[in-house]
Amino acid sequence: MKIQVNEQVVEVADNTNIERLLLQLDKPLMGSAVAVNQEVITRSQWESYIINEGDNISLFQAIAGG
Amino acid sequence: MLNDAELLRYSRHLLLEDVGETGQLALKNAKVLIIGMGGLGSPASLYLAAAGIGHLVLSDFDSIEVSNLQRQITYQSDDVGDSKVEVTKRKLQQINPEIKVRSINKSMQADQLTMELTMADLVLDCTDNMQSRQLINKACVDAKVPLIVGAAIRFEGQLMFFDHSEADSPCYHCLFPSSEEQTLNCSNSGIIGPVVGTIGTLQALEVIKYFVGLPSGIKNKLKLFDGKTLDWQTFVINKDPTCKVCGHL
Repeated sequence: MKIQVNEQVVEVADNTNIERLLLQLDKPLMGSAVAVNQEVITRSQWESYIINEGDNISLFQAIAGG
Repeated sequence: MLNDAELLRYSRHLLLEDVGETGQLALKNAKVLIIGMGGLGSPASLYLAAAGIGHLVLSDFDSIEVSNLQRQITYQSDDVGDSKVEVTKRKLQQINPEIKVRSINKSMQADQLTMELTMADLVLDCTDNMQSRQLINKACVDAKVPLIVGAAIRFEGQLMFFDHSEADSPCYHCLFPSSEEQTLNCSNSGIIGPVVGTIGTLQALEVIKYFVGLPSGIKNKLKLFDGKTLDWQTFVINKDPTCKVCGHL
């Protein structure tokens, strides 16, 4: 199925959870944050949260600078 | 009551229906702790002093380096080598002698932070590292003190507001749960001055709105700013019931 990740179309298998998506995209698990349809999915839910067709996913990094 | 000098100084606030004399008195009574006097803390403290926040406490342990001057707009070349909080305090008092400014010229550990929070109505996190951010978040959760977090690197900014006086508030740790992880900062990634300035300025705006009683557009939200496109993205942050910092509340 097709989803959007940071405005790019990405093909993922059915029943893909967030953790698997990050691995598939070769993104670091540490320091990343994930939002699905403008709602942050906290790290404790990454395994249980199953991505749906058409979901709009945003990946971003913690930044500490100031 | 505001005195005559204050009525004149804050006349442009007093014209605003959303501020007025009641709002200005609320600003005068407000106690705000600003942690980090770099690229975020510079504009935040300048605007809050000018706006008449009555009690500002400034914390930083750094002295001014020449590489700070590209973005930390409180400081000038003559100030290099001097303490950031001492220089900022002097400049804020020059801008507004009506307010009280106190400086803490060291890295605050948990005990001192907890003590400072008993005297603060609100905290601005303007620091430059993840460990401090996690420490400040935990102290604000425990003390139930509202926290406005700013961060910036490269052309990117992040802004969020957690009102820890509310029991069901999420926290910074719900969003970014590890302090060990390698995070991006200005020294290792670079930063454009107006990007960090934009975020620090918006932290000041949120403080003013909070004390005059206007609702925040960023409560329990993360705003991401892209300095190249000027686009903003907004994400809702929900409380993580398993969060080690706020999950028990």
